[in-house]
Amino acid sequence: MKSLWLFPGQGSQKAGMLTNVDPNLKQNVENWTGVKLLDTSEGYSDSQQIQLSILLLQINEVDQLKKMGWQPDLVAGHSLGVFGAAYAAGVISKEDVFKLVSLRAKLMQSSYPEGYGMGVIVGLSRQEVAELVKQVHTEENPVYLSNQNSELQNTLSGELNAIKQVLELASKQGAAKAKLLHVPNPSHSPLMANVAEQLDYEIGKLHLSNPACIYLANNNGHPVKKVADVKYDLANNLTHPVFWETMINVALEYNPQVSIEFSPGNAFTKLLKVKTDQVSNITLSEMTIDDADFLLNKWKGK
Amino acid sequence: MTERNWHTHRDAKAARLNGASALLDGKFAKTEDVVKVLEALIKPGDKVVLEGDNQKQASFLSEALAKVDADKVHDLHMIMSSISRPEHLDIFDLGIATKMDFSYAGPQSTRVSQMIADKTMQVGDIHTYLELFGRLFIDLIPNVVLVAADKVDREGNLYTGFNTEETPTIVEAAAFHDGIVIVQANEIVDKVPRVDIPAGWVDVVIPADKPYQLEPLFTRDPQAISELQILMGMMAIRGIYEKHNVQTLNHGVGFNTSAIELLLPTYGEQLGLKGKICRNWELNPTPTLIPAIESGWVDSIHSFGGEVGMEKYIAARPDVFFVGKDGTMRSNRALGQVAGQYACDMFVGSTLQIDQWGNSSTVTHGRLSGFGGAPNMGSNPTGRRHSTAAWQSLKPADDPLAKGQKLVVQMVETFGSNKKPVFVDHLDAEEVRKEAKLANVPIMIYSEDTTHIVTEEGIAYLYKTDSMEERKAAIEAIAGVTPVGLRSNPEEVKKLRDKGIIALPEDLGVRRQDAKRSLLAAQTMDDLVEWSHGLYNPPAKFRSWS
Amino acid sequence: MEKLNFTYQNSEAVKKFVHVGVVASGDLEILLYPADETTIEIVTGSDGFKEVWKNVLDRFFTRYPLKGKFVIHDFGATPGVVNLRLTQAMEALNDEK
Repeated sequence: MKSLWLFPGQGSQKAGMLTNVDPNLKQNVENWTGVKLLDTSEGYSDSQQIQLSILLLQINEVDQLKKMGWQPDLVAGHSLGVFGAAYAAGVISKEDVFKLVSLRAKLMQSSYPEGYGMGVIVGLSRQEVAELVKQVHTEENPVYLSNQNSELQNTLSGELNAIKQVLELASKQGAAKAKLLHVPNPSHSPLMANVAEQLDYEIGKLHLSNPACIYLANNNGHPVKKVADVKYDLANNLTHPVFWETMINVALEYNPQVSIEFSPGNAFTKLLKVKTDQVSNITLSEMTIDDADFLLNKWKGK
Repeated sequence: MTERNWHTHRDAKAARLNGASALLDGKFAKTEDVVKVLEALIKPGDKVVLEGDNQKQASFLSEALAKVDADKVHDLHMIMSSISRPEHLDIFDLGIATKMDFSYAGPQSTRVSQMIADKTMQVGDIHTYLELFGRLFIDLIPNVVLVAADKVDREGNLYTGFNTEETPTIVEAAAFHDGIVIVQANEIVDKVPRVDIPAGWVDVVIPADKPYQLEPLFTRDPQAISELQILMGMMAIRGIYEKHNVQTLNHGVGFNTSAIELLLPTYGEQLGLKGKICRNWELNPTPTLIPAIESGWVDSIHSFGGEVGMEKYIAARPDVFFVGKDGTMRSNRALGQVAGQYACDMFVGSTLQIDQWGNSSTVTHGRLSGFGGAPNMGSNPTGRRHSTAAWQSLKPADDPLAKGQKLVVQMVETFGSNKKPVFVDHLDAEEVRKEAKLANVPIMIYSEDTTHIVTEEGIAYLYKTDSMEERKAAIEAIAGVTPVGLRSNPEEVKKLRDKGIIALPEDLGVRRQDAKRSLLAAQTMDDLVEWSHGLYNPPAKFRSWS
Repeated sequence: MEKLNFTYQNSEAVKKFVHVGVVASGDLEILLYPADETTIEIVTGSDGFKEVWKNVLDRFFTRYPLKGKFVIHDFGATPGVVNLRLTQAMEALNDEK
């Protein structure tokens, strides 16, 4: 039975989500990073709180599933999710990944002054959005076509005024939705090059292993089996769009029977269900690990 | 002057088989030795056909091929009808293969697109099935072929049964030009039910660890047929099948044609058409044709391949299907494609995009799906000479030296389910040609071969148009509110209707209110099972109670 | 969720109430009432398609200039399905009882 493990990024975090996390693991994370995880709404306005907490949730879930004997055949992480994915694929150690994400979050928090962010457009094709971006983007007024979340859902990253101009053009052209996202930096655009450079330097110092399964890369949607390619994705995915739609199309060509979405939220299971009803889905934020184990055993037996 | 050695291939083959003799007991190798056998018999740079058929996959051999030592076996030139399984592409990542000539890549279209872009895979060309089979005898003559059989006897005779598909064609190309034929077998038996491929053509037989992969590609659940597809089906039957008196045909499988198959016993019956149309078919055994067969519409069906779940039903209807003396069907893709080309009055299919001129393509950004059989089935065979009522009805009136034409019908809704227009000014394929560096734009069916287009708005009788301008206007008249369709205007529509170049449902006497699911002869998979007297056995994924 | 309104100057008065379609995914329901003016009231779950609706209605009314009050509840139908339901409503009017 082939399984696809999906790791969401930022967006669905909420206060109290760390309640059932292994306290020892939580303590370790706080020791390694020097960051006390508050798990509160106010706390979740800080990048390090968000990113470390989400990663903690995911790694806790991965450990539990693996202890029960489950292994992924394909892993796909969205933005921050690449780190959970890389951990699940056996590429990076627990301590290393938390320290790395801690640094990533810190760098992202301080990388951009106010006035930068992201937007989302639903209902236009990627080509159509690219045309609109071309009409607005200049070096002084930068906006980039960023994430490819689905066939008709794409994001923009850049300077807020430039983004707003593109959103307006999109609405005029018949976009079903064109609005700003609550994200304080222009993630997944060339504007994040500084952060990527520093991450790249830090990752270069770590010992990483070849993935034990197929890792779907954000930066180009390719299925990757070499550690060098995973490394590149972990360091540099912030400067490239997340080609999620392509990643999932490729994943489906490997014929997985089961998908498991790690916490928090269920956004990516929803997107997957629109594409196919041939995959059985588990969303860990909506059930206990024991329930997930039960279902996996049931489906494996079929 | 030294004599040329005229049997280098024969010598080379003998040397290879000799080198593998330790692994072989006569023709038979052990299951666990499969990787070693492949390493012994395949040389770097070889042309290798791997069975990659449409339905049937030599999955034991393809998985083994992905495990060979790339230092021993590398730079293979693969020739495949259908790129279907992940390991068909893994061998390129591993350096085992570098070049590919193929026809269809639907199940792996995203990865194929990526591998061409990053040059992991070099594509010779994309073909239609029959064209690729032809080249196996001309300039793509294989060194090694890897195929699958159901049963093999102790001498090495092969039984391929329902799913014979293109196996005999592939094996013939190797067997008679000193290629090596390696077969994976589901079972070794004392006696095969019949001989589909004689032992004399076979070199090596390896029992597989599990049966070869077989996909039910042509089963369509009637519950998924929409009212719009029913309306279009009614228009097609009235405005094309009846009008042109179509006796022989092929349906490109999809929900549109499944709807037509289920409308014959009901709507077709109401029109009094039984026995008058749709008598001889070239068609994979689609379950949705069962009601028409049972109602007495169908004289014969020849198939390219089998369809999982239809075996018992087919065996019980030997008057209709091509069933051997042993009681099981034999399919044949090469001959089916020949029949579809020359012996059928009409092809009906669908597509993802049609451009302003009437060219069709299923190639879109980031997905290179190839062509399959459509370019062949959907083209006019200028070599045809025999006349039928349907073919003759398309003969132009004004040219004494002219002849008839095959009906090539494209059925599409004006907008896809993602609410994007199907009718576009320029096909995505134009961009993809540049991205994938192909010699030509990957068009599936050309405008000049397309005789009719059916949309939910009406039918465009393109064969009646006098010029490209008129052809474009006819397309615009039925292209709905797509950017192409918005160029039409009421005066133009009236002119075309008066000339009989377009027909709206009311012109055909088709009532949109009648386009209800209750008009389908079968509305669920259970209905189909009932029509078949319990002989049809739907595959697991189509059963609603699992 | 969007509410759209359109008006037309059409000539063929609708003589009776007609109801076609269902509010199911990918489908829509049309309630057509006799009236002195042609007004179209659309409630749709798919936002941003005002232009497309106008095109579909323009095209339909050019061929079949029905005068009446149209109330449409849409659940993500494609333009093809919208056209189907509108033409079914038109046919229902032409039926003799």
